[in-house]
Amino acid sequence: MYIRIALSVFLGAALGAWTDESVSFNRDIRPILANNCFKCHGFDAEARQAGLRLDTFEGATATAKDGKQPIVPSNPDASEVMARITSTDPDKKMPPPETGKKLSPAEIEKTRAWIAAGAVYEEHWAFKKPARPELSQVADRQWPINGIDYFILHRLEQEGLKPSPPADKSTLLRRVYLDLIGLPPTPQEVEAFLNDTSTVAYERVVQRLLDSPQFGERWARPWLDIARYADTKGYEADRRRVIWQYRDWVIRALNADMPFGQFTREQLAGDLLPNATRDQIIATAFHRNTMTNDEGGTDNEEFRNAAVIDRVNTTAEVWLGLTMACAQCHTHKYDPITQTEFYQFYAFFNQTADNDEYPIENPVIPTPDSEQEATLKALDTQMDLAQRRMETMLPELQPQRAAWEEAIAKQENGVLTLGPWQAAGPFPAATFDEAFTKAFPPEAKIDLTAEIEGGLRWVEHAEWQDGVINILEGDVCATYLYRVITSPLEQPVKLSFGSNDSIKAWLNGSEIVSHHLGRGAEPDQEVVTVTLKQGDNTLLLKIANAGGGHQFYFKVNATGHPADIVAIIKTPLTQRLPAQQQVLDTYYTSIAPELGPMRAEKLRVQAEKDVLLAQIPTIPVLQELPPDKQRETHRHIRGSFLNPGEVVAPGTPASLHPMQPEFPPNRLGLAQWLTDVDNPLTARVAVNRFWEQFFGTGIVSTPQDFGTQGELPTHPELLDWLATEFMAKEWSMKELCRLIVTSAAYRQSSKVTPELQERDPNNVLLARGPRFRLSAETLRDQLLASSGLLSQKMYGPSVMPYQPDGIWMIVYSDDKWETSIGDDRYRRGVYTFWRRTSPYPSMTTFDAPSREFCTVRRDRTNTPLQALVTLNDPVSIEAAQGLARRCLTEAGASSAERIHFAFRAVLARDPQPDESAQLEQLCQQTMARYQQDTGAATDMATNPRGPLPAGMDAAEAATWTVVCNVILNLDETVTKI
Amino acid sequence: MNTNLERMQGVTRRTFLGRFGAGIGAAALGVLLRQEGYAAAPVENALRGGLPHFAPRAKNVIYIHLAGSPPQQDLFDFKPKLKEYDGKPCPDDMLEKERFAFIKGHPNILASPYSFKQYGNDGTWVSELLPHFSTITDDVCVVRSMHTEQFNHAPAQLFLYTGSPRLGRPSMGSWILYGLGSENRDLPGFVVLVSGNKTPDAGKSVWGTGFLPTVYQGVQCRTEGDPVLYVSDPPGMSRELRRDSLDTLRALNEIQYDAAGDPETLTRISQYELAFRMQLSVPEAMDISREPQHVLDAYGVTPGKPAFANNCLLARRLVEQGVRFVQLFDWGWDTHGTSPGDDIITQLPAKCKIMDQPVAALVKDLKQRGLLDETLVVWSGEFGRTAMNEARNGSKFLGRDHHPHCFSIWMAGGGVKRGAVIGETDDFGYRVTKDPVHIHDLQATVLHLLGLDHERLTFRFQGRDFRLTDVHGKVMPQIMA
Repeated sequence: MYIRIALSVFLGAALGAWTDESVSFNRDIRPILANNCFKCHGFDAEARQAGLRLDTFEGATATAKDGKQPIVPSNPDASEVMARITSTDPDKKMPPPETGKKLSPAEIEKTRAWIAAGAVYEEHWAFKKPARPELSQVADRQWPINGIDYFILHRLEQEGLKPSPPADKSTLLRRVYLDLIGLPPTPQEVEAFLNDTSTVAYERVVQRLLDSPQFGERWARPWLDIARYADTKGYEADRRRVIWQYRDWVIRALNADMPFGQFTREQLAGDLLPNATRDQIIATAFHRNTMTNDEGGTDNEEFRNAAVIDRVNTTAEVWLGLTMACAQCHTHKYDPITQTEFYQFYAFFNQTADNDEYPIENPVIPTPDSEQEATLKALDTQMDLAQRRMETMLPELQPQRAAWEEAIAKQENGVLTLGPWQAAGPFPAATFDEAFTKAFPPEAKIDLTAEIEGGLRWVEHAEWQDGVINILEGDVCATYLYRVITSPLEQPVKLSFGSNDSIKAWLNGSEIVSHHLGRGAEPDQEVVTVTLKQGDNTLLLKIANAGGGHQFYFKVNATGHPADIVAIIKTPLTQRLPAQQQVLDTYYTSIAPELGPMRAEKLRVQAEKDVLLAQIPTIPVLQELPPDKQRETHRHIRGSFLNPGEVVAPGTPASLHPMQPEFPPNRLGLAQWLTDVDNPLTARVAVNRFWEQFFGTGIVSTPQDFGTQGELPTHPELLDWLATEFMAKEWSMKELCRLIVTSAAYRQSSKVTPELQERDPNNVLLARGPRFRLSAETLRDQLLASSGLLSQKMYGPSVMPYQPDGIWMIVYSDDKWETSIGDDRYRRGVYTFWRRTSPYPSMTTFDAPSREFCTVRRDRTNTPLQALVTLNDPVSIEAAQGLARRCLTEAGASSAERIHFAFRAVLARDPQPDESAQLEQLCQQTMARYQQDTGAATDMATNPRGPLPAGMDAAEAATWTVVCNVILNLDETVTKI
Repeated sequence: MNTNLERMQGVTRRTFLGRFGAGIGAAALGVLLRQEGYAAAPVENALRGGLPHFAPRAKNVIYIHLAGSPPQQDLFDFKPKLKEYDGKPCPDDMLEKERFAFIKGHPNILASPYSFKQYGNDGTWVSELLPHFSTITDDVCVVRSMHTEQFNHAPAQLFLYTGSPRLGRPSMGSWILYGLGSENRDLPGFVVLVSGNKTPDAGKSVWGTGFLPTVYQGVQCRTEGDPVLYVSDPPGMSRELRRDSLDTLRALNEIQYDAAGDPETLTRISQYELAFRMQLSVPEAMDISREPQHVLDAYGVTPGKPAFANNCLLARRLVEQGVRFVQLFDWGWDTHGTSPGDDIITQLPAKCKIMDQPVAALVKDLKQRGLLDETLVVWSGEFGRTAMNEARNGSKFLGRDHHPHCFSIWMAGGGVKRGAVIGETDDFGYRVTKDPVHIHDLQATVLHLLGLDHERLTFRFQGRDFRLTDVHGKVMPQIMA
C-alpha cells in the first residue's frame, strides 16, 4: 500500500518538469543546488562559507583554499563536490548532517551527469526576457483552436495522453460565466445558449460577458487581494478607513479594459503623471492600503517604515514575482538581490508624504460624486465671477494701492528688531496640569536682573534661532521665555509657535495663545496674527512640560503678508512679470478695505463650498514630497530602521534589465521600468496569475515566486508565448481572458478518469478541463443570484450583510457591525465590509485572507466549517428560501418541473433521472414532516426571508427550502466544473 | 455502504498525497492521515523525519492568556526593597535608553500594596491576591525571568504567539496542529475561548494560520450563541430532517463522483459528515451544565454566561476529548492606573478574584483526572509592568506602564518541573538577573515538551523556511522535569 502511494507522489513530482532526457541546469541542477548548497555557498557574500560559491561557473570551478577544485567540468570523479555529497564521513559530508538535508541517490546521479556533460550553468530562466516561441508541433492538427492549444497538446502527446472531449454546452456556459463575471447564467440565458446552434454561439457569449459591467466586479476580487484592500487600517484598534473609491477605480479600470501597463503606472505613480487626473490620483490608493497604527505610544516613523517595506515587498511580488522580503535584513540567500538593492528599491517609495498619521491619513483628496462635482463647479464659477468683478475695480483703487505697496516696499528686512531670548526656569511642578495652570512669578512681574526665586534668574540665549526647534531643560515643569520686539510702525504680523508640550503666550501683557496638551514641538502648531504697536513690544511665552522632551519653536512674519507677495512688491513695477502682477492683483483683492462687500460675496460662496467639501468623502493617496523635503534613504542594518547604514539612491536590481536613462528616478520611472518590454518578469507574472484564476494552478505554481526557489513552469514555452502575446495585444487583460476561455484546453470536460487520476492527479498537463472550488465571494454571489436576491447595484461604500452578533469585539474601539438595510444586504461579495482583524466570517472560512498583506494566491481548503456555512448560515438559508419561492412561482406545479428549474438556476443543467429521484424522495419525506408541524414549516420557510407571498403554503415552501438547501450544497454547486 | 466507505478512504488517501506532493508538506500529511485514523509513520519517514521528532512529554496545551498583562510585582515577583523607594523618583539608570508607552518625565517607584507569603515545598512567594493559586504551587513552575522585545500590546501578543511582532505569521497553536494533528475527529483541534468581552489587541491573528493552510486556524468557540458559528441547524429543521437532507446530499454527490471522478468530491462528502457530527459534539463539549455541581462549584462557574471560569472548565473538557491546543484569552489586565477601572487597587484585585479560583481548580481538576501529566498549562501576559507608577497626566490612581524586560509566568503539567521557581530579577523586578527566558525560548520549550524540535518544524514560504521561533530560541532545560 505505502509503496503504491510513494510511487504516485514520485510521478506527480516528475510531471512538474520538462520531459526531455538530458540533464538541464535550470530544470534539474539549480533546484538541487538552491535547496542544499546556496544558503552557505551562494549569492550572499556575508553568509558564504569557506569562500566557496556554487551559484556561478567561475566560483564553482575556481581552486579552493585547500587546493581542491569543487567542480571540474566533464570530470565528476575529480570534482570535490562529488566527493563531498557522496562522503560518509560526517566531517566531510555535504550538506552537513546537522542541517537535516541530504541529496537523494537520484539527485547525486543527476549532479554527476551534469558535471560529466561539462557543468554548464544557465541564467535563471525567469531573468531571461521571454522570446516569442514557435507554436509547438502536434500530431492532431484538428484539436487546437488557438496558440495555447499547440503547447498543451504537444506536451500531452509527449506523455502519450489525449485531451478530454469538450465539456457539454451547459457545463461550459456555467464555467465561463463563473470565470468571466463570477455569476451563474440565468435559466433564460441557459435556454438561449442551448438553442443557439451558430458556430460562434460561444464566442458571442464570451464577448457579451467581457462587455458586462459584472466583469470588473468579478476580476476586482483577486486584484483587491493583491492590493490588500480593506475598510480598516489594521493593527490594534483597526479603525475604519474610507478607501472604497479605490475599489470603484479598479472595477472601472477593468471594465474599460485599461491596458495592464497603464493599470500599473496609474496605481504606482498616477500622481506623478503629467496633468494627473483625479482618477489617476485615486489609483495611487493602491499603496495606501498599507496598515496604519493608531495604538498609543507607537513611533510614527517605525510604522511609516513598515508601510514602505510593505510597498516594496508587494510591488516585487505582484509585478516581478520576486520575494524581495528576504533582502530586508540581509542579502537574499537564493536570488540575486543584495540588501543594498532592496533599499535602492525602497528609495523609490520613501518619498511620499504619508507618515502613519491618524485620525486623518494625510495626504487625502476629495472624491465628489457627479452631483457634488457639478455643484463644486458652479460654486467655483461664482467665486471666479466675484473675483473678476473685484479685479475690474482695481484701476479705480490705484491710488490707495500704490500707497499700500509703497509702505510695504519701504519696510526693509530686519525692520522689526527682535531682542535676544531671555529664559527663566525650569519651574518644577507636581503634575503637568499644575505646570500649565500655576502662575509662576514671571507671570506677575518681569525683572531681567533680579533673582526670581530659589536662585533662578533670567538667562539670555542669543544662540536660540527663530524658525527652528530650540531645546529646553527640565522635566515636569514650566519654562518662561521673554523677548522685546521693536517695530517702527503699528502693523499686523503673524506669529508662529510650536512647543513640547503646552504653551501660553502674552503680547504686551495680553494673552494671545493658550493650548494645554501633550505633544512634540513642530513648526506652526499655533499661528496668530497680532498687531504690533510702534516701538517696543514685549512677548512672554510659557512652555509647560509633561516630562520627557521640552522644546519650543518661534517665528515672526514681519509684514503680515506672504513672503512671495512681499518679494513681488519689492520688485520695481517695470521689472515684474505679468504673472507676478496677476498674483499681486489677486492678493490685493483679498485685503483691499474698499472691496470688503464684494469680498463678502466671495467668502459666502467659499463658505458654502467648505460645507460641501466637508461632506465629500476623501481618500488617502500617494503624494511625492517636494524636492526640498525629500528623505535620505539608508540601508537599514539587519533590517532595522533604527540602525541606518550608508545612503542609497533609487535603483533597480542589477540582475534584471537596466532602467532606461530617460525614466525618472522616482515611482513613475519604476513603473515604466516594470512595464518596459525588456522586463523579463512582469508580463509572465501577470499572465500566470490570470491562468491560475481559470485553471486553478498557474503555469508556475508559485505565482508569488518566480525566483530560484519558486517552482519551474510546467509549460515554459506556453508561458512565454502568452507573455509575448499579452504585450503584443497592448497588455489587454480582456483579450488575455478571451484567448484563454476560447482555447480548446479550457473547453475540455473536467471529468477525472481513473487513468488521469493516476497519471496526473493535479491536472498539471491539462488533459482535462479545470475543476476546483469557487472563491468565497463567488459562492456568495452565486447563492444570491440563483435565488433571485442579488442586488445589481454597483460601486460605493462597503456594505454590511448579515453577520452573527458578537463577532466584532475590539479593544479600545466601540465600532459596531450594523447590518445594512434594503438592497445593500444582497450586494455582491466584493462590496462586503472588510475588517482586517475580523473579516466577514463566512468568507474567512472559505479561505479569504485577512488582507493585512498582499495575497497573490488563496489557499483552497475543504473543511467541515465550510459545510456549516453553506448549510446553516442565515445567508445560505435565505437564499434557499428565495430559490424555493422561485421554484414555486416560476416553475410548473410538479416536483420534477421544480427540480428542473432549480438545477437550471444553480447548475445551468438538467437533472439526471437518478438525481431527480433522490430529490423527489426527500421532497416527499419532508413534506410529510412539515404537514404535521406547521410551526417548524413556517420557521423554515420564512426565517429570515420574511412572510410568504399570499397563497403560498408554508409546508410546501419549507419543503422546497430544504430541497434547495441541498442543491445549493452540492459539490458541483460549490465547484467550477 | 461499507464498500462505499472503503472506496472513499482508499481514494481519499491518494488525494491527500496528490495534494501534499504539490507542496503542503509532510507534517500536514501526517495530520490528515492521522485524522483519518491511519498510522502513517512509514509514509512520513519516507518523505521526511517522523513527527513528533522525539518522545513527547505533553499531548495537549491549555494556554491561559491574561491580555493586557498583569503586574509581576503584585502577584509573583516579591520585591520588599520597593517599599524603601515607594513614592520616590526611581534611580536614573532605570530610565536610560528606555522608551515607555505612557510614562513621561521621571516617574516614582510604586511598591506593591499587597503582602506576600511563601507556600509549598519550594517556598514559592505568592501575593495575597492569589489565595487559590497558593494551594497549587507544588504542581507549578513559576518563571520570573521572562522577557520580550515588545512594549505595545498588539505587537507583543503577536510576538508571543507567532514569533514575530508583525502580522502574517502562523500562531503557536497552528504550528502545533500542523505538526501533530488532532486526536479528536469531531472537534476542531485548536479551540480559542475569549472572555472579558474583547478579543485580543492583535485581533484574530494571534490564533491565525498566517501562511499555513487555513485548516490549522484556531476556531473561536463562543459561550453565547452558537459555540461554533453556524453549528446549529436553522429554525424549523429537526435533526432527523438534517440527516435526511444530508443523506440526499451524499447520494447526489456520489452520483456526481461516479460521473466525474473527482476525489475532492469524496473529501467534501466526508467533511459534511464531520460537520454533522460536530453539530452534536461541539455543543455537547461546550455544555458545561453537564458537569456535576461540585465541579461547577470548584471552578465557580455559572453555566450559560460568558465568563473566564466557564472557559477554564471548558478547557478541561476539550483536552479531555483530545483537542490539541486550547487558547484562553481574558481581557482586562492592562492596569495603567488612569481610573479605578484600570488601577492596581480596584481593578487588579477584581480581576484576580475572577481568575484565581478557576485557574487553581483547573490544575487540580486535571491532576485529579490524571490529565495533568499529559497537558501543559501555561499562564502568562504578553509582557510585564513597570516598577514605577505611571501617573498618566498626573493621575492619582496607582498603576504600572508596559514593561518588556521582565515578567512572571507559570507553567504546569506535561513535563514541567513541579514546585519550582525559575529565574531572578533585580530589587525592583525591573531587569532579569538570572536564567533569562526569552519569548522564543518559551516557544522552543513548549514545542519541545510536545515532542517537536523548533528548528525542524518549518514551512517554506516566500522562498524561506519559516518557524515559530524565527531564527532564535533555545529549549530551557531548567523548566523541564
